Amino acid sequence: MKRSPLQMTQDRRLRLIGLRLLLIIIVVGLWGIGSLGAPAFILPSPRRVFGVWTQLVVTPGFWADFGITFYRIAMGFIFATVVGVVLGLLLGASRTLGDFFQPLLVVINTVSSSIWAIFALIWFGLSNWSTIFVVFMTAMPLILTNVWQGTSTVNRDFIELAQTFRMSRLQVLLKIYLPTILPQFFAGARLAFGFGARVSIVAEALGASSGIGYRLRQAADLVQTDQVFAWTLTLVILMIFIEAVLLKPLETHLFAWRKPRPA
Amino acid sequence: MSVVQLESVGKSFMRRDGEQLEVLRNIDLDVPERSIVALVGASGCGKSTLLNIVAGLIPPDQGTVFLNGQKSSAFKDWRTMTYMFQEDRLFPWRTTAQNVALGLEAAGMPRKERRDRVMQVLELVGLEKFADSFPHELSGGMRSRAALGRSLVTEPSILLMDEPFSKLDPSIRTQMHDEVLRIAGLRQMSVLFVTHDVEEAVVLANKIVVLMPRPGRVKETREIALPYPRNPLSPEVAEEVRLLRLSL
Repeated sequence: MKRSPLQMTQDRRLRLIGLRLLLIIIVVGLWGIGSLGAPAFILPSPRRVFGVWTQLVVTPGFWADFGITFYRIAMGFIFATVVGVVLGLLLGASRTLGDFFQPLLVVINTVSSSIWAIFALIWFGLSNWSTIFVVFMTAMPLILTNVWQGTSTVNRDFIELAQTFRMSRLQVLLKIYLPTILPQFFAGARLAFGFGARVSIVAEALGASSGIGYRLRQAADLVQTDQVFAWTLTLVILMIFIEAVLLKPLETHLFAWRKPRPA
Repeated sequence: MSVVQLESVGKSFMRRDGEQLEVLRNIDLDVPERSIVALVGASGCGKSTLLNIVAGLIPPDQGTVFLNGQKSSAFKDWRTMTYMFQEDRLFPWRTTAQNVALGLEAAGMPRKERRDRVMQVLELVGLEKFADSFPHELSGGMRSRAALGRSLVTEPSILLMDEPFSKLDPSIRTQMHDEVLRIAGLRQMSVLFVTHDVEEAVVLANKIVVLMPRPGRVKETREIALPYPRNPLSPEVAEEVRLLRLSL
């Protein structure tokens, strides 16, 4: 029997969901088997972690820590986006500026995020700004580099067309540059958000008195391994949620104009 | 009155090796109101450079360009002139309607007024059903119509075209010729276009300017007085085409 294209995409989606479920079952299964032969402070069982997690979620402190971590990641990311896009466009627009600042970008990229976390601790102490700074320093170069590379893909023919319409510089920026770099920006921003979220935990573990990273270190210090697992589970769920509910639909919406790729 | 007038225009470019390359020499050209003028000639005769000078994208080295009787250096009404390129240059992230609206956005027209004007033009070029399609969903002929629509939406008094239909299939090219003639008549618009297709020049133009290459100079100006529509297979048109080929 012939299948319509719509049915075929549905089939493919069902198959994918099935595979994902299978993967989860295998991983949790292996984890469960492994936990049988190890003490709970080394590897707690999935059942135990889930139990701790359900208790954790109902404590009021959980949402406070969750919220403050999310706030720090979001702030760092927003600053990184604004600065990265503006600088990326500037460096892309002027060759001299680009050549001048390029080495600086290489240096920033070679400095590890944990070093930024140590600097943050020295400069900002135990405050929100420590974590925000580390997220910013990690995410900003990624966004900047992508936007900068994106500017080089701007079609010269479109610029010439804009000249025949006597479009202003601002119009060219908004109507040609911005849409052109959007896919690259999006790729960079997604990467930056992922990295930023991960280093925020390191930063919080080193230099904060609240947040998921702080709780993780506290749990580790007290050898509450099941708590460490529960917080990790929370983070994983948060990242999957952001990807599936925020980024993926946004991407689909923004890039509806793209030619669908042949399967 | 002439819409476009060139007086002894010359242009040279600096080559990479530092040598001056003369592209245009002593060009006189006249586009009367409501006329269609074709520039033909072999490659390397500076046709596109000439069009870019008329469009004000590059300045001439010698001579003067007059637009609507005004020196082009003092000309302000650039939005009365539009330029249609060889490639359609549609923005892939914009729908047909949004692409067509570009010139109106550049002029700062409010969204509401824009929509009416865009719909009018989409009907004019026969794309009203494809207003919300993206360029990759359109055929080559429809993309060309969209590009034509984008050039018409600002209601220009002169349309410049640089081999706009050279990449289309012959049958679609003929359709586009009919469209240009119909719309130019309807809108009382002058057209100055570049082509290497002699038949296209004879079918469309009332005046054909033949250029010689290296440096580009005017070799001859021919008036074509045949009535429209011109059938490329009719003996009169075929004879004009033959004469023009001999001249090239």
